[in-house]
Amino acid sequence: MKPEEISKSAEQLVDLNPAKFATLPPPYENYKESPLVQLSDDQKTRWEHSLDGVSALTLPKPQTPEEEEQLVASFLLGLEKLLTKENNWTFLQPLALSLEYCAKCQTCAEACPVFEASGRQDIYRPTFRADVLRKVAKKYLSPGGKFLAGFRGHDIELTWDLVARLAELAYRCTLCRRCASVCPVGVDNGLINHELRKLFSQELGIAATEIHEKGSVKHLKFGSSTGMTTAAIGDIIEYLEDDIEEKIGRRITIPLNKKGAEILLVHNAGEFMSWPENPMSFAILFDAAGIDYTISTELAGYDGVNYGLWYDDVQFARVAIKHLEIARELGVKKIVIGECGHAHKALSVIADRLLPGEQMIPRESSYTLLWDIVKSGKIKFDPSKNDFPVTLHDPCNIVRLMGIVKPQREILKAITPPGRFREMTPHGVANYCCGGGSGFAIMSSGNFTDWKIKLSGRKKLQQMLGAFQGEMDPEIKKMVCAPCSNCKGQIRDLMQNYEVFEKTGIWYTGLVEMMVNAMVDQDAPFVEWPSDEEDDDM
Amino acid sequence: MSWIQILTYLCGAIFIVAFATKLLKYATMPMHVRWELYPIPHEGKHKSYGGSFYEEIDHWKNERHKDHLAQYMFMLPEILFIKALYEDNRSLWYWSFPFHMGLYLSIAGLAFLAIGAILQIMGLPSSTALGSLAQSLTILLGVVGYVLGTIGVVGLVIKRMSDPELSEFSAPIDYMNLIWLGAIFVTGFLVWLKDPGFGISRDYLVSIITFSPMKDQLTGMHYLNLLLFLSFFAYFPFTHMTHMVSKYFMWDKVKWDDNPNIGDPGVDAKIKTYLGYPVTWSAAHIGAQGGKKSWADVATENPWAKKE
Repeated sequence: MKPEEISKSAEQLVDLNPAKFATLPPPYENYKESPLVQLSDDQKTRWEHSLDGVSALTLPKPQTPEEEEQLVASFLLGLEKLLTKENNWTFLQPLALSLEYCAKCQTCAEACPVFEASGRQDIYRPTFRADVLRKVAKKYLSPGGKFLAGFRGHDIELTWDLVARLAELAYRCTLCRRCASVCPVGVDNGLINHELRKLFSQELGIAATEIHEKGSVKHLKFGSSTGMTTAAIGDIIEYLEDDIEEKIGRRITIPLNKKGAEILLVHNAGEFMSWPENPMSFAILFDAAGIDYTISTELAGYDGVNYGLWYDDVQFARVAIKHLEIARELGVKKIVIGECGHAHKALSVIADRLLPGEQMIPRESSYTLLWDIVKSGKIKFDPSKNDFPVTLHDPCNIVRLMGIVKPQREILKAITPPGRFREMTPHGVANYCCGGGSGFAIMSSGNFTDWKIKLSGRKKLQQMLGAFQGEMDPEIKKMVCAPCSNCKGQIRDLMQNYEVFEKTGIWYTGLVEMMVNAMVDQDAPFVEWPSDEEDDDM
Repeated sequence: MSWIQILTYLCGAIFIVAFATKLLKYATMPMHVRWELYPIPHEGKHKSYGGSFYEEIDHWKNERHKDHLAQYMFMLPEILFIKALYEDNRSLWYWSFPFHMGLYLSIAGLAFLAIGAILQIMGLPSSTALGSLAQSLTILLGVVGYVLGTIGVVGLVIKRMSDPELSEFSAPIDYMNLIWLGAIFVTGFLVWLKDPGFGISRDYLVSIITFSPMKDQLTGMHYLNLLLFLSFFAYFPFTHMTHMVSKYFMWDKVKWDDNPNIGDPGVDAKIKTYLGYPVTWSAAHIGAQGGKKSWADVATENPWAKKE
């Protein structure tokens, strides 16, 4: 399908056929994938879905031709702003280069997990949405753009159909940037997708509800994208202390708002709600290693996420500046980021040039600090306590986009018996996204959940199953170590949908949970398996 | 002065001005936020798996060491052999490599033709040892370049037309560009058949360098090759074929730009300037008020904060 066809009038541009989706390894080799959940007739009447029958944005259909025209005009105006230094100094240079220089060689398509998983649907090629934007920019914004537009390859019709489909298409890419890593001329089609989301949010106010209204807005309003208020965090920390006492038989105090502490530890607040054993593990390990740290209960200070990273520079800056302000006020020497991939990249890398140097506070990955703790010998580990097959998921934001590859591997090797840890194929900087990147893990509007499980997460499911081939007996418990909150969310959804634990014995956890599990001082197993709950129920 | 000489100067001037303008456009864009992608070659061999300084505890306290040699060792096979394409898109590399190598060799041949012309001006014609060496290299590099380039062009045109995954994303202008280059290679080869030592071509270059009339009359094939080449030379900076520009900026200034912000006065000054830029984004949550507010204003506001 040519990018120009995105403008064509049709109820739905593409029908997704599950029979064409990439196949899964044993024991799923004969698995019959069910068709994607369809929107109801009522939803179809109200929401734009003409790209692939999926609605991630629940974007309302314009009611009049005038409204359509207005939205199209706003889109074009937004694209123009995206190409000015005043409105987009943050990314103008890489965007302008990426728009100008694609050689259309399609090398990037082979690297894209969504394109591959979908059975090579053209609309999911990294070049497809990027080319649509290139063509619109050339035809409508460059001098003489309409002259010989067909011959020059950018004769595209800018219509509401194009704009609405492009808005949805911006949420079919996880921003993993595998495409950019293989481009022979350096073009970054992932970046173009990022910029497209910004255009929609910053000019038209269009973004996924879960990452804007329920995400960055809640973060700035209540203190956390989970909705957890500043008043509630103290109670939650107390519950964690109770749970720790119950688990390890002694009480640990988690320091709050401790002025002058060495470290401000920031978690993804989703951990407190969905995987409390993760912040508990940090508390146990930091206590045992004698780390001088604190957790903040200030607005936004106890939630390290920054959803603006995926769709809006202004929202991004507002949250990042809050994080830095809180650290400065506490007088800490560094911020350590818990097991959250996008929080790592947001605060360490992207926020690095938001403020002049004197206003910055050093930021460090928890992986690095944890590896330092292991090397120091302050905590004694018994690898035999993790005597099960283990593989490691590489969160894109931490590995390919920050270059933190070795510490987590060294830790796993130190806390598992020889031969138990095995890599996925491929791994490290060539890894595949969990499928929940760029906000997908928390997005569930319309029928998007089904799409992200069956398509964006498919490659990761293949990889997880692939890592344990030959040991697929469900009686052999196997672990995927996924040291990132959003990745865990996506992996949890994948495992539930495909009943992975029941059929294969594969489960998932974070890195710190496995570390606590291996502590010599820890009597009872810390890592929990779904079958443990069943045993408890009996 | 003949019309072909005037055209040569004109096309050369267009190329220089247009290419410099393009370089300047990208070089003067604001410093963007960091957007690196690993592996980064200057992290050195010990981090060739894709590691970075973030793997080191208190990394900001350590002196940064960039392994520039490792970066050059990465760039060399990439520039010469298009290594990334070889690894990730082999079926295209089979044609893209001879095409690009043909270009490099032809340009090298042209460079030796110019060296031969300069030697000739200095009184060292091709009958002298040095002049003869320049001539031999001109012939060797030029002719091998033309042949390889032609093979590459034919292969790329066929591949682009026959592979639906490429043809869907190709426009008539893409084919025209390839065929145009192919015509330069073919006519260059035919010039060599007419002018085996490139003596006439060298005399033409001598006239261009010395701003003097041509000694020898160019053949029809010389004219055809020159017209194709000169027009392409002037056209080239306006096309995406200048992707060596993106390769430099996107790699050196984007994918490999991992310089942390440690309070460099120059960087600080830039950031302060950018934070003063007016914002005109229209979405309500930005609150830009049509450019009345700057980046510093909108980034430090929290529209949802409880009013005291």
